[in-house]
This record gives sequence, C-alpha cells and structure tokens, in this order.
Amino acid sequence: MEGTVGVVTQFLDSNIGLVAALGKIALALVIALQVAPIMVWVERRQAAFIQRRIGPNRVGLFGFKLFGLGQPLADTIKLLFKEDFVPKQANKFFYILAPIVTAVIGLVAIQGIPLAKEIVVGGHTINMQPVNLNAGFLYLFAMSALGVYGVALAGWSSNNKYALLGGLRASAQMISYEIAMGLALLPMVFIYGTLDLQTMIAAQSDSLLFGVLPNWGIFLSPISFVIFVITMFAETNRLPFDLAEGEAELVAGFLVEYGSMRWSLFFLGEYAMMFTLSALTTCVFLGGYEIPWLSQTELVALLTPIFSAEPATWVASLIGLTVLLAKTAIFMFLFVQARFTLPRFRYDQLMRVGWVYLLPLALVNVVVLALIVGIMRLT
Amino acid sequence: MLTLPEIGLYFSFLLFLVGLAGVMFRKNILFMMVSVEILLNAANLAFVSASKITGTIDGQVVMFFVMAVAACEAAVGLALIIALYRTKASIEADDLKALRG
Amino acid sequence: MQMDLNFIAFVVMGLAATILSGVMITRRWPVSAAMVLIAVMTLLAGMFGLLEAHFAAAAQIIVYAGAIMVVFVFVMMLLNLPPEELRYGGVTWGEMVLISLGVLVAIVLGTQVGQGLLTQGLESMGYAPGQTPAHAKSLYFAADENVKNVAATMFVDYLWAFELVSFLILAAVIGSIVIAKKRSAENANAA
Repeated sequence: MEGTVGVVTQFLDSNIGLVAALGKIALALVIALQVAPIMVWVERRQAAFIQRRIGPNRVGLFGFKLFGLGQPLADTIKLLFKEDFVPKQANKFFYILAPIVTAVIGLVAIQGIPLAKEIVVGGHTINMQPVNLNAGFLYLFAMSALGVYGVALAGWSSNNKYALLGGLRASAQMISYEIAMGLALLPMVFIYGTLDLQTMIAAQSDSLLFGVLPNWGIFLSPISFVIFVITMFAETNRLPFDLAEGEAELVAGFLVEYGSMRWSLFFLGEYAMMFTLSALTTCVFLGGYEIPWLSQTELVALLTPIFSAEPATWVASLIGLTVLLAKTAIFMFLFVQARFTLPRFRYDQLMRVGWVYLLPLALVNVVVLALIVGIMRLT
Repeated sequence: MLTLPEIGLYFSFLLFLVGLAGVMFRKNILFMMVSVEILLNAANLAFVSASKITGTIDGQVVMFFVMAVAACEAAVGLALIIALYRTKASIEADDLKALRG
Repeated sequence: MQMDLNFIAFVVMGLAATILSGVMITRRWPVSAAMVLIAVMTLLAGMFGLLEAHFAAAAQIIVYAGAIMVVFVFVMMLLNLPPEELRYGGVTWGEMVLISLGVLVAIVLGTQVGQGLLTQGLESMGYAPGQTPAHAKSLYFAADENVKNVAATMFVDYLWAFELVSFLILAAVIGSIVIAKKRSAENANAA
C-alpha cells in the first residue's frame, strides 16, 4: 500500500503537465455538458414567468417536486428512446456529421476559458486555463469561426429547400457578425496590452475613479461591451437574430429534418457556445473569476492563515470558479430574457445591422480608443 | 529527420506533390482551385518550419502575406466561377475553349 | 529524435493531413472535397501550434478554415453541381519532365545543401547549426511572445508589403463583387 502510493505520487510528479492538462480538460467538459440540461430548465421556467405562466414544475426527483428540476432528465430519456432516422433523400454522411460538428465545436471552445487563477499541487503551479496558447482568446474566435460549418452542413445535407436556405442564411449571418465581434474586442487588447485572458483578468482587479468602480472592461470601454453583446447574440443564432431556426418563418429552418438525439446534440452545441461566449464576456469585461476590488493574490493571502499554503489556493480557485459561473449566469439570463421579449429581425435588417451599423461603429471605436490609449501611454 | 521542423519540410513537400496531382488530374475548375489551396498551405507549412529551423520570425510574417493573397485569389476565382456558371452552365476546364483559334 | 508526445503528435498529424489531401483530390462531390480540405487545414493549424507558431495556428483556423473555406462551401452549395469523374488518360511527356525537375530541385534543397543555403548569415541572431531553437526569435521582444514578435516584425520590417497587401485585398473585394453581380437589363445597357 505504501509502495503503490509512492509510485503513484512519483508518476504524478514527473508527468504533472499531462495529468494537469487532462484534469483541466475534464473539468471544462463537465461544466460544458451540464450547461445544456440546466439551460433547458432555466429557459422553460423563465419563458413561463415572462409569459405569466408557471412552466414545468412537476417533474422532480425521488418523489420531491424540486421546482421541476427533473424535467431535463425526463426530456433526455424521452429523446433517447425516440426513433433515430435518416431521411431517405438526405446525404447520410453529412447528415450524421453536422450535429456532431456543432456539439464538438461547442465542447472544444469552452477549453479556452480560464476557470480560476492557479492551484498549487505538491509544489507545482498549475494555471487553471485548459488551453493556454500565446494567442490568447484568438483560440475562442477560431472555434466560433468553425461553428459556421455545423449549421451550413445541416442545412445542405437535409436535401430540403427550406433547410438549405435557413442554413445558408445562418452561415452568412455568423460570418458577418464575426468581423464586428473581433473589432469590438480589439480595443480591449489595446487597453490591457495582451491577448492572454489571465493577464486581462489580473489587470481588472484594481479600482477606477478613486475606488468607486472596479477596473472592469465594461467601464473602460462600454461601446465595445455593447457591440460584443449584440454580436454574441448573432453568433449563437439566438433571438433577435435567429432567422435560421425561425419557428414561424422557415419551419425550424436548418433543423427541420432532425429529430431525437441529433436535435439535442445541436442544442448541446448551441448552449455550450452560448456559455463560452458569455464566459468570454465576463473575462474581458466583467473581471472574470475575481471578486471586485480583491485580486486573487490578496485572496490567497487572506486564506493562508486559515488553511495552509497549498489548500488556500484550492479554496481560492473554488471561489473563483463560483464567481465566474455566477457572472456568466447573468448573461445566460440575459439570453433567455431577450429571446422572449424582443421580436425577430428580418434577414435584410439583420445584414444591414451587421454591416452598416455595427461595423462602422466598431471601427470608429477602435480608432478612438487607439488614440486615447496611445496618448495615455505617451504621457 | 532529426528535428520537428525538418519533418515539417518533408511533409510540406508531400503535400505539395498531392496538390500538384490534384491540379493536373482534375478538370473541374472548383477542384483545381481547391488543389491550389493545398499548394498554398504546403508553402505555408514550409515557411513556418523554416522559421523554426533558423530561429527567426520572418517565416511566419511571410506566411501571413501568403494567406492574404490566397484569400484574395479564392474570392476572385469563385466570383469568376459564378459568372461562368451563369453564362455557360459548365465549369469543366475542357469546355472553356471559346478563344481557341 | 526524441520520441515525446509533441513528436508523435506532429508525425501523426502530418501523415493524416497528407492522406486526407490525397483522399480529397479523388472525391466525386465538391462539397465532400471541401469538408476534407477543412479537416486538412485544421490539422495543419495543429502542426503550426506544435512548431510554436501560435498566432499562425489561430490565424490559419480563423482565416483559412473559417472564412476562405466558408466561401468555397457557399459557392458549392448554391451552385449545386453534379459530381464528376477523374480524368482518365496518361500524363503527357512535358508534364513528366517538369515534375521530375521539380522533384530534383526539392531533393537538392531539402538536404544539406539546402540547409546550408537556408541558414547562411544567421550567426548574428545566435543560430547554432544542428540545434532547433525553442522559440523563433526576433529583434524586438522576448523569445516566447510569439504574437508580439510577429506583429512587431510585420509592422516595422514588412510595412510596405503590409500596405500593398491591404490594397490587394481591397481590389479583390471590389473585383469579386463586380464580377459576380447579376447583370440586369438596365445594367447591361449602361455598361
């Protein structure tokens, strides 16, 4: 027993990079896979409250009503037992591939979010961001750029004119709003001087305006925040930009030929991408996993007398993860609220907003903030 | 075959051969354009590998310019294909012989 | 030849990219070929990442797989072309001569001769022959800040090329819109 524990710890010690990477990826995957069921429940209850109904509140677990929290579980079981079909006229390989692409891209994109600052295990410091390229949040952009293909493939492979139109319109919408999204985040790169998300979050723990406001990105560049939130709605095909799945117009658009588990794979990917973009917004604009006015190192220093040095970092990381999830929950709430409040854009209005209104506004924002930051750096 | 970027150079050579075979043996213009994209990607891999071998960064900078030129070429080529399809309804290279004297 | 995970991953990705591109040029449907090409480009982006060119990897996915291939896929899906077969018939003599010439040049450049030509005059940058540096260096920033190095080199050393390529992109945008525009009756009379 002693020997095996020693062997295991020695193996972990020498391969700490690989083990830590696998652990972080597993943690991010668990979070991503739990977002979809929770969001299904949140969406139906919140929609009901907005529409002055009650929503599902009967399906509970173990005999307790539990506000209907068992509803997603019941839905999943029903979808698993539904008939799994491939339409006769559809291109079979791409029909099966499209929801897999959407789901996998959603799960892969979430690996770029910093979940906490760092934990110290046995003398090794592990940065709690599963994928930490030098190119920072460009990894998240790359993954959301690849998310176009799931929609386009679904539309085309169904061999159905409504689906093809819906899929192509959705793809065109997503690539149009990607430009404004990138340009909206560019001033934040000027202000913080780095593409790395952990550095951006660490820079947001000071205070602004003589201690009244925390040094969050939303106060430093509110126009960027507004543009980014609008493009976030367009990137995930959510109302008011959901022409692609428009229920009243295109008969569920590119999803029309999909049923049972393939349909739920699409929504897994969509909710995971919503969560990823909301988490990116909190990291860049709302201070990420940090409690306002309290940087992570101060928190660890506060906790060290209570726990010892290493468990203090674990507790601080746990608090950080909770704070990140709470701030992201604000945006998920906003997503559902906008879905059941705002009317849908028509397609030409949508394209006009993306190209004629948002793109020049984002460009002007970039120029103005570049000038301001440049002048402030020179003085 | 000793280090990583040298293997990258060999792979770039293989990819280039595949792209060349694609351009030569397909007569559909769309497939030829797609094979040209493979050729350009092989060149990009060679540039980045060379940047790693010599330790300078210029290879990656040139790679961006190659990428930008490839984007322009793809856009204009596809516009030409659309215009061609609208007039002749065929995009095989062997059918485009109106200028043959 | 250290057999660590990076090396194995690089070789696997390279082999997969080569085999998939071979698969791609033998497809019958254009859309299948485009999807296989997207897979090849993503694998190439992974190889760039393993060569410590992080910005190149992200840009490869964002620009190539996320924008250029989307345009290809749009055109293929909208034109709805029928599948076509490969060209049968042999390779002509001229093509054979040119290909063997190209292979010869590649072999010459890829061996020691080429290595010597490639690394001439780089001793000032601290290049030690036979040894791969961990990160690509430049004169501007520290060695492991890839994005800053690429940006500094592009905007200081290659500024002319950057501005000219931006003009090229502008010309391509305008040109492709003009070429692909539908000619309505009054347009054709005015043109």
